[in-house]
Amino acid sequence: MYPSVIEEYLRPGSVSEALAAIARYDEGEAMFLAGGQSAMQAMKSRMLRPQCVVDLQDVAELRGIVHDNGALRIGAMTRYVDIAGETTLDGAFGALRDAAAHVGDRQVRNRGTIGGSVCWNYVASCMPAVVLGLGGTLELAAADGGTRRLDADDFFLGPLETARREDEILLAVSWPAPAARSGSAYKKWGLVRDALPVVGVCITVTLGDDGHCTQARVALSGLAGGCQRAPAGEELLRGGNGDTAALARAMDAIADSVETHSDMSADADYRRQLIRSIGSEVAATAFARARGG
Amino acid sequence: MKTITVTVNGTSYEESVPERMLLVDFLRDRLALTGTHVGCTYEGVCGACTVHLDGEAVKSCMMLAVQADGHAVTTVEGLAGADGPGPLQRAFSNSHGLQCGFCTPGILMNMSDFLARHPDPSDEEIRSGLVGNLCRCTGYVHIVRAVREAAREMREGASGVQA
Ligand SMILES: Cc1cc2nc3c(=O)[nH]c(=O)nc-3n(C[C@H](O)[C@H](O)[C@H](O)COP(=O)(O)OP(=O)(O)OC[C@H]3O[C@@H](n4cnc5c(N)ncnc54)[C@H](O)[C@@H]3O)c2cc1C
Ligand code: FES
Ligand code: FES
Repeated sequence: MYPSVIEEYLRPGSVSEALAAIARYDEGEAMFLAGGQSAMQAMKSRMLRPQCVVDLQDVAELRGIVHDNGALRIGAMTRYVDIAGETTLDGAFGALRDAAAHVGDRQVRNRGTIGGSVCWNYVASCMPAVVLGLGGTLELAAADGGTRRLDADDFFLGPLETARREDEILLAVSWPAPAARSGSAYKKWGLVRDALPVVGVCITVTLGDDGHCTQARVALSGLAGGCQRAPAGEELLRGGNGDTAALARAMDAIADSVETHSDMSADADYRRQLIRSIGSEVAATAFARARGG
Repeated sequence: MKTITVTVNGTSYEESVPERMLLVDFLRDRLALTGTHVGCTYEGVCGACTVHLDGEAVKSCMMLAVQADGHAVTTVEGLAGADGPGPLQRAFSNSHGLQCGFCTPGILMNMSDFLARHPDPSDEEIRSGLVGNLCRCTGYVHIVRAVREAAREMREGASGVQA
């Protein structure tokens, strides 16, 4: 299998050149290519038939992990292998490494990028749920020079859908400095090691002086509706001190409140059970990281 | 069509290719380097097509040939040294790390990159490193053994104990 005819291949050296290249084509006829680990499948199966491919590999300004007084900015073209190896991503940002280290396989991690993953927003994927569970901000730029910043809650619209317009490029995902005593974690379950998530859970908690949870975000991957928050669980986590029974109650509430589906990998009940078991483990890790342990 | 310059196994090639040509097809059909195999159709799940792009293991069916313009590619044909098969290749032979051999080029290319970064891996780390390569014959036990053997030999070779 190979892609349908591609008329033009461009390799811009900057964001402005990349945006100008996309703007030369009608909507849907040109596309950005990042790591290609989703786009190449889609092109070979002819689900995508771009006339023009704008390869972002030379746009250096889209790469890199930058810490600035606690704030974090990860360029869209930063690869999984780079995120997985970045030991400064701990505590409040630990979920990013948890996820990146287990995406697919070594070869996929050597190419695939955080930006490609969130722009594709496949149901069975890790980074969209992690960016949602960490409350990230998506920085977008358009050919007319306009830029906008969207909260993850407003960016992910449903399976394979985001608020990004076709003529916009994702520049980076960023976070302000996290509150003290914050921790996050992510874990997924798939059919084999590091496989696509049948269910994945990302949890961020912030603890008060007394060790009780003051803020919590929970996001799930692998559900038919796409990556999503789980408010029922967030509410129960808040105020708790992370003891095992309380975490189990919060995960029960999530399992009972979300819509799960049955497919070849798992039936709806098993997905609920996965949410309970992975979720409890992830919550415990997030609490431990928030405590600094 | 686009003219690209790619260094493959140390030799620079200038070729005119259709934009949609996959890197794996460029290697096999243009350069007749048929050691790089195609084991799945488009999903990118079997790893048989694994090559090095600037020294890193990547699946060559998941890239366009034009993306490799200006880069260095190593295929399994480039793995042996001037004095014959290297330690990883010898270990696969000695430890029976293959049966039909269809998966072997991809596994060798992935594991040579892996060992360069993890000189003393545990069996668990080797198994995690192999996730992207399917083998339908061996059951992986002998593959893991071969990689472990190669790692040992390369460490000993590097410290001058035994070549
Ligand atoms: C064998 C295999 C196993 C995998 N396992 C997992 C897994 O376990 N978990 C998981 O989460 N994913 C998995 N994936 C998918 C992988 O994560 C992809 O890398 C990711 O989904 C896409 O990122 P990419 O950089 O490859 O983007 P591409 O495939 O190049 O692009 C994806 C889409 O995003 C758009 N895009 C990319 N970058 C930008 C940008 N900066 N601005 C605007 N648009 C952009 C492209 O136009 C395209 O539409 C797997 C893939 C494979 C092949
Ligand atoms: S041919 Fe199967 S991964 Fe490339
Ligand atoms: S030896 Fe036959 S597929 Fe691996």
